Amino acid sequence: MLGRTIFIDPGRCIGCQACVSACRECDSHRGKSMIHLDYTDEGRTTASLPTVCMHCEDPVAPCAEVCPADAILITADGVVHEADPTRCIGCGNCVNACPFGVPKIDLAAKLQMKCNLCYDRTSYGLAPMCATVCPTGALFYGTVEELQAERPGVDVSTAFTFGATTVSTGVAMVVPPERRAPVPGGLLNLIEVNGRPTPGNGAPA
Amino acid sequence: MAVTPPPPGAAGGPSAADGPPPYRRGAVRAGPAPGETHSPTGRASLVAAAASMLLVLAILLGSRGLRDFDSALVPYAVASVFLTFGVVYRYTVWVSAPAARRLFVEGWRAALSWENLRNSPTALPRMAATYLGFQKFLGARSHARWAAHQLIFWGCLLAAAITFPLTWGWFTFTSSGASGPGYEMRLWGLKLFGFDSGSFLGWALYHGLDLAAVMVIGGVGYFLWRRVRDRAATTGQRFGYDFLPLLALLTISVTGLLLTFSEMFLHGGGYEFLAVLHMVSVVLTLVYLPFGKFFHIVQRPAAVGMQLFKYTARRRGSDAEELRACRRCGQPIDTVAAVDNLRATMRDLRLGFDEWAEYCPRCKRVLRGSAYLSSVKRGFK
Amino acid sequence: MTAEHVPLDPSVAPLGTRNFRDAGGLPAAAWRADQTEQTLVPTHCCFCGIQCGMYLRVDGRGKVFGVEPRNHDINRMRLCPKGINAYQQVNHPDRLTAPLMRRDRNQPLREVSWDEALEFTVGQIGRIQREHGRDAFGMLGGASLFSEKTYLVGKFARVALRTRHVDYNGRLCMVSAAGANKLAFGIDRAANPFADILQTDCLLIAGSNVGECFPVLTQYVWGARDRGATLIVVDPRETAVARTADIHVALKSGTDSAFFNAVLQVIVDEGLTDEAFLAANTTGWPEVKAAVKAYPPSRAAGICGVPAEQIVDVARAFGRARRAMGWHARGIEHHTQGVENCLTVINLCTATGNLGRPGAGYGTLTGQGNGQGGREHGQKSDLLPGGRSINDPAHRRQIAAIWGIEEAELPPAGTSMMEMVWQMQRQEIRGLIGVCNNPFVSLPNYAVVKDGYDKLEFHAQFDFFLSETAANAHVVFPVTTWAEDEGVMANAEARVVKHNKAQEPPEGVRTDTWVMCELARRLGVGSKFAFEGSREVFDELRRASAGTVIDYYGITYERLEQTGGLVWPCPGLEHPGTPRLFEDGRSYHPDGKIHLQAVEWHPPADPYDDEFPMTLTTGRTVAHFLSGNQTRRLGALVEQTPRPWVEVHPSQGFRNGEPVRVVTRRGSEVLPALVTEAIRPDHVFVPYHWPYPVAANELTIDALDPRSKIPEYKVCAVRIERARSVDEVPAPPTPPGHEAYPEAQASRTDPLPPTSPQGRGTGERG
Repeated sequence: MLGRTIFIDPGRCIGCQACVSACRECDSHRGKSMIHLDYTDEGRTTASLPTVCMHCEDPVAPCAEVCPADAILITADGVVHEADPTRCIGCGNCVNACPFGVPKIDLAAKLQMKCNLCYDRTSYGLAPMCATVCPTGALFYGTVEELQAERPGVDVSTAFTFGATTVSTGVAMVVPPERRAPVPGGLLNLIEVNGRPTPGNGAPA
Repeated sequence: MAVTPPPPGAAGGPSAADGPPPYRRGAVRAGPAPGETHSPTGRASLVAAAASMLLVLAILLGSRGLRDFDSALVPYAVASVFLTFGVVYRYTVWVSAPAARRLFVEGWRAALSWENLRNSPTALPRMAATYLGFQKFLGARSHARWAAHQLIFWGCLLAAAITFPLTWGWFTFTSSGASGPGYEMRLWGLKLFGFDSGSFLGWALYHGLDLAAVMVIGGVGYFLWRRVRDRAATTGQRFGYDFLPLLALLTISVTGLLLTFSEMFLHGGGYEFLAVLHMVSVVLTLVYLPFGKFFHIVQRPAAVGMQLFKYTARRRGSDAEELRACRRCGQPIDTVAAVDNLRATMRDLRLGFDEWAEYCPRCKRVLRGSAYLSSVKRGFK
Repeated sequence: MTAEHVPLDPSVAPLGTRNFRDAGGLPAAAWRADQTEQTLVPTHCCFCGIQCGMYLRVDGRGKVFGVEPRNHDINRMRLCPKGINAYQQVNHPDRLTAPLMRRDRNQPLREVSWDEALEFTVGQIGRIQREHGRDAFGMLGGASLFSEKTYLVGKFARVALRTRHVDYNGRLCMVSAAGANKLAFGIDRAANPFADILQTDCLLIAGSNVGECFPVLTQYVWGARDRGATLIVVDPRETAVARTADIHVALKSGTDSAFFNAVLQVIVDEGLTDEAFLAANTTGWPEVKAAVKAYPPSRAAGICGVPAEQIVDVARAFGRARRAMGWHARGIEHHTQGVENCLTVINLCTATGNLGRPGAGYGTLTGQGNGQGGREHGQKSDLLPGGRSINDPAHRRQIAAIWGIEEAELPPAGTSMMEMVWQMQRQEIRGLIGVCNNPFVSLPNYAVVKDGYDKLEFHAQFDFFLSETAANAHVVFPVTTWAEDEGVMANAEARVVKHNKAQEPPEGVRTDTWVMCELARRLGVGSKFAFEGSREVFDELRRASAGTVIDYYGITYERLEQTGGLVWPCPGLEHPGTPRLFEDGRSYHPDGKIHLQAVEWHPPADPYDDEFPMTLTTGRTVAHFLSGNQTRRLGALVEQTPRPWVEVHPSQGFRNGEPVRVVTRRGSEVLPALVTEAIRPDHVFVPYHWPYPVAANELTIDALDPRSKIPEYKVCAVRIERARSVDEVPAPPTPPGHEAYPEAQASRTDPLPPTSPQGRGTGERG
């Protein structure tokens, strides 16, 4: 059952990237931002999606499972940690195995880094930086009951489908109340609709 | 999922060392891989026992049937046998898990491939020097950490190079004359060279361990300071995993130095007590080595295997052929071989979404965002 | 087939995972202090008019090194990206730490002693005023200054310089709303606190990109919707807030008053007005009612370019709501009829009886941190402290008495900021002191502004980074950031909050207060400027405002520290402040009535023709603040949005990232196209935070509202054409011998537009 965790509602997100800046202020990885903010409807709307680590519970942390160096640890509270710097060999397996696209990697330092739910804060009972500052509540830290008290009539989902597989996570996404089905983790057949190999940002024009 | 967070590993506070460890490893779901008959632990025990036997044999032979063996060092020698068992056991279990096994195989395949030996014979030694010797990657994490780690690394290496052969009775020092300063250093009973005890070489050989201790104390001092001060280090740190190794190294080094101090300035005062303390700390450290943070010493060469695997894969052809492009945006993800290896690993682990590995993380997120917009909710409600 | 291209480290990782450049590249890591010893100093953000509370983290050596969210009731721990990065200004390598000076503009600026810079300034003031009269020397203040300092700017100009020419950059920001509020209500501030938004049933946001300009206010907007409120957004662009709104009215820029007149016309037609409220509390309703008759939805639909049904929908949603609120910002204010646009929103709220109740009311969103407080205490050309009029003999006598001067010595009203620039061109003003402003980026029609400033015989500027304007000056005084001094600001709710001093200023840096007092001393009026610091100035300000509408008398530093903010009017030390106005229906006019004003729409100043057929509108992006002198130096913000762009609709036929020349009658520049369906096909948008040659204000028109003198930033005629390459973004200016902190500037040369108006996504460049 969900305890105190992050709830993500892209519908409320204004794409301001306060979370991205706040993440950098987290003392456990000061100066480096782990959160992702993507504009998912580029060219059409200003819609955006913040991505923190979903802290997968079943299967438990695919990133940790594919790690050849046993570098990714999971605490008893379900937090999937960033790679242990003494073990990580920088192979990138976790980066590409994560179905949510979360881990980052410093190739020069041979070190993976990712959201650790601001363990320096959450382990002391504080909310993570991103959810603390989020001006819109697109990132909310608390319990489901606290969320629903503030936002009557919302529900949350921790199930994400990737093809035939369902991944259940420790971090939840907000869904409309009537929607009980798992959230699609990304429809690969959307490529034709949404795919612009060029000249998108970052792609060679 | 536990609601209450575990107590943070506060600086210096005992936490995880006692009680059940709060951390668990990721790879717990994997059953035996196809084609595997023994349980990994059973096989690991066998391999480890064989390795330990080999070491005992080597000690017997190297010390010329225990003729050169120093009986005062018996506890050290026994500890090294246990160390061998522990390390080999842990290593075998480790490389039996799907991800490590595949990388282990690919790494050795690359290292031993004719293609690699012929085309880039220097790649492996250069990588080993960069990653294992000079640990350039640590400099990218922090220059201070790199410097401190280098001190500990070379200090430990020096100490190990001196002490293990001594312990096993492989090195002996014999005086070349009945009296006088001349000494001979022998390996397996064979004379390597002679030297004068008053010479620089003699001094260096005699004080090699002291030098190692000073280096280690310097490095450990920095890391301990960091573990108390730097919030990046203190977050989630555990006494058993993060402090114990540092304290162990510190104890060994300090007691070792005190032995010299006692000998030189106190005429051997307290020597026996210090010797026991030193021995106990070394033995316990060696026995602990396979299980805690020190295991990275054994694991780290995998970094070279991984690099070599990607290196030989990329050298086979142009980047356009050998790098896997994201199926949506066309940007490179990793080498084709590495992505295929990862997908195979994921299938071993029965992670049913290995196809997603062929999309770059950003495209995965954008696809998920688009799917949310189109099939969950478009806007606020 | 050996491939020698493979480096020894063959690692590859996908785009967007490899490095942490989006994490800022600022010396944040180098400023990592001994984090076992830290003090949290409660204060507020230096940037926008929301005035979010925050803690500055101060290390053992007394240096600010970080930020921690603060549970203040304005923002409840929320912060926007600017606020989070604000602390990085304090110990930034680009800081000015010594006065800069040159005797003429052909020389480079060089570092000089304080004494030399002050002496030269005093000498030039004396010379110009002797040769050309007192009014030949002007002063321009700013609305990011603490209220104490804005008070000093007004007093310094009138008492030390004794010139009529003083104004401030709130002229570019708040004056239309201020003018409309004064006309209708007799009081110049938002009528309701932010918290009232949570209780409304229908929220109308007109011309405000809340999600980018006031991100933290979004929590109130979403909170209202969580409780069932309808959201109406009026904006030519589909901003982040408009994207999910119940009704998004994407009208043509410059047609707001036609739209709101039409909405009011429907409300009248459908009998949704509150006639009892109107009869009891207003004057002018019959005239307004008659005027809006000329704006049936069918006509307004044509003017505004929106469907007539949408006008009816808005009228019904607003008119039928039990409690409705209207909030507006620069979108409707930056027009040659900015005051009138605001009046149409006031008419709408008043006609439906939506005033003075929780969840029902009217507000205006101030842009600058002290946009509200900055206009209250006398740095505006026609106002004296306490919002007194400089043209009113009684007011003049009161202030003259407080300042210890003869009423006759008090100069008359001056001219507005843009008009002062025209006067500089005509050499009616030959010397200028600028405090906390950057007109080279912020004023419209850059060519005129540059010409005006270049004609000045003497120009001194106060700033803590060398702004584009300061780089053109004769003397630059290095002054403190907000974290190095204490003082108050009034936010968009007119809530006065206290900023606390977190660290000592760097060696060589003085407070603005010290510089103004020292100049006054050298000008021979030191006895009237014997202020130790902000606290003494505030005490005089309190007394100077006592008994006026803008009454600060009951507000003290101690009370502010205890309460977290008090809303004026606060006439007594026991008074709780006045968060909500008009609760009894009475306005602040002597007759207690709300004076409704009939408004006729007229087209914008810049005419459309075949050569300039489209509309250019300008605005802000979330990562940058105003002229960008602060935010263009903060790595994380540069990383988020490194450069300006031109936003065009796909129907214009440009590809994303393609160079587009934007041409108006005043200038042209080439920017990369951000092609998006989230803008009207007949509009283009350029953000204005960057300087020449990529300044939006090279293109905008210096036409002013006749009443408020606000420039018409939000609409001018434009055409776009294909071009070869985009204009490069210049580095922020630095003193000779210094380079703008390179790590913060790393991505400035990116030729591509951001992914979305809010910036570049984190996974796109490496």
